[in-house]
Amino acid sequence: MEILRSDNITMQFGGLTAVKDFNLTLNKGEIVALIGPNGAGKTTAFNMITGVYKPTNGKIYYKGSEITHMAPYQITKLGIARTFQNIRLFKDLSVLENVLIANHLHIKSNVFEALLRLPKYKNEDRKMMRKSLELLEIVGLADEKHEKSSSLPYGKQRRLEIARALATSPELLLLDEPAAGMNPTESEDLTKFIRQIRDDFNLTIFMIEHHMQVVMGISERIYVFDYGITIAHGSPKEIQNNQRVIEAYLGVDENA
Amino acid sequence: MKKRDYYLTAISLILLIGFIFYADNNMDAYMVRILNLCAIYTILGLSMNLINGFTGLFSLGHAGFMSVGAYVTAILTLSVNAKVQNFFLKPIAAPLSNVVWPFFPALLLGGALTALVGFLIGAPALRLKGDYLAIATLGFAEIIRVIFTNTQTITNGALGLKGIPAYTNLWWSFGIAIFTIVTMILLINSSYGRAFKAIREDEIAAESMGIDLFKHKVLSFTIGAFFAGIGGGLLGNLLGTIDPLMFRFTLTFNILLIIVLGGIGSITGTVISAFVVTIAQEALRFLDQSINLGFVVIPGVAGMRMVVFSILLMLVVLFYRHGLMGTNEFSWDKFLNVISMKKPLLKGGRK
Repeated sequence: MEILRSDNITMQFGGLTAVKDFNLTLNKGEIVALIGPNGAGKTTAFNMITGVYKPTNGKIYYKGSEITHMAPYQITKLGIARTFQNIRLFKDLSVLENVLIANHLHIKSNVFEALLRLPKYKNEDRKMMRKSLELLEIVGLADEKHEKSSSLPYGKQRRLEIARALATSPELLLLDEPAAGMNPTESEDLTKFIRQIRDDFNLTIFMIEHHMQVVMGISERIYVFDYGITIAHGSPKEIQNNQRVIEAYLGVDENA
Repeated sequence: MKKRDYYLTAISLILLIGFIFYADNNMDAYMVRILNLCAIYTILGLSMNLINGFTGLFSLGHAGFMSVGAYVTAILTLSVNAKVQNFFLKPIAAPLSNVVWPFFPALLLGGALTALVGFLIGAPALRLKGDYLAIATLGFAEIIRVIFTNTQTITNGALGLKGIPAYTNLWWSFGIAIFTIVTMILLINSSYGRAFKAIREDEIAAESMGIDLFKHKVLSFTIGAFFAGIGGGLLGNLLGTIDPLMFRFTLTFNILLIIVLGGIGSITGTVISAFVVTIAQEALRFLDQSINLGFVVIPGVAGMRMVVFSILLMLVVLFYRHGLMGTNEFSWDKFLNVISMKKPLLKGGRK
């Protein structure tokens, strides 16, 4: 079943076309990767899907309804969560607070009910707390819940970002380079972890990644970008043998 | 909260009430005035800290908000006679001339109207960020002041209002200050308060976590404006006379000084700093007079103590950017540890 589809989305910054005619289809439960050399426009594509940028052209549909011109917070409410390439945690707040904040979007009590601590709010607050602690347990940060989030080591910050994204109760999770800066053992753990959360939370995962070990090991389909153009699309095997992909990554041999 | 903390809080509240009772009966008018100002500046500081410290919106419109609250409360509580005396250039507009309200409803309406003004200003201005927001809010505060200077039949223009009944006493000022502190604590520790802090930390991440930035910014701004209006109303009915010139940028600066010294984003810091700054401004009055150092006589310059405060603010910003408390808050655990000179326990109770 299709969960997200983009029709020829294009993003131009002045004269520069960062992404051109990107046609993406994500099916429910899939893990799909987006790869490409640096500056190929991968994060721009993410930003269009999450509403940070409005595409110059084209349309994006989530579960059949158009989300092209929605604000980021509305898109998150519909069920698309993301992490960032350069970790963007709420640095001065505790690990637990970081996750709690991501629960706020579904709050039904208004500010007065919250101020007066009415049963409706208390109930919601308790649920938020329970859910956040569970998520921290799952990502293995339960012991550090009162630490300042910026004091965590890099790998844990990445996991906290995923926990925070999961707290928004998404159906589609966008991961921007989750394995960046990880060693082979760590990225192997990450691969397992991504699969596990996909199964546990019934997620569809779309990720940008450079670690080929992770990408090839986990993704069911791969899109390849080069200078904003989709140069290939297919299963990991097809991509590995695709001549244009090899050229984009390794360059063309002029003497051949 | 532990049972012990409840008892300790209750005991300190009783002590405070006892102190107010004592001060109300035994202290001279000058001391009572200073204590009143301390409490009012606590309210004003907290309202500004909600906007600037907790939500991270650099707003400089506080004097404008205070003037709305002060004028509304003053006009509603002025007696019919006093209104006739005040408005000798042009009589006061008809429906207001006979309106005399009790203090509390007047104060509440003052707060509510200020909240409305905050909302109306916030709706366009909060689309701006950082310095631009500061300039826009500063401008709006000046606009309010100019409007008040020119609405002769409502605010008595540049002549100001005199003979405002002195309703503000220690019970009102401290009562409302405690109410403000409790409201802020409940707000900041609620899910909405966490959302405010998220906006302060990282707007892009906050929006990606589904927080409607605009709605929450306007919410924080409006609540802040409400308490600024209440504080303004208390101030007007304490001083007994207000005029538009009172609500210039310097007033905003005074409150900004309090929250920066106390720690931007700390309720405790603001409360302590409101008392310290207000008392120090009185204690340092000798600086305004001429000082004889024996070998040289420094002539008195009015406003010299403000220079001291400016230098203090500069030093804090340069060397101690987190202020007195940073973003830390008071807790009985920490307090008891400090007074018993124990080393604080590490996280998880390890020594």
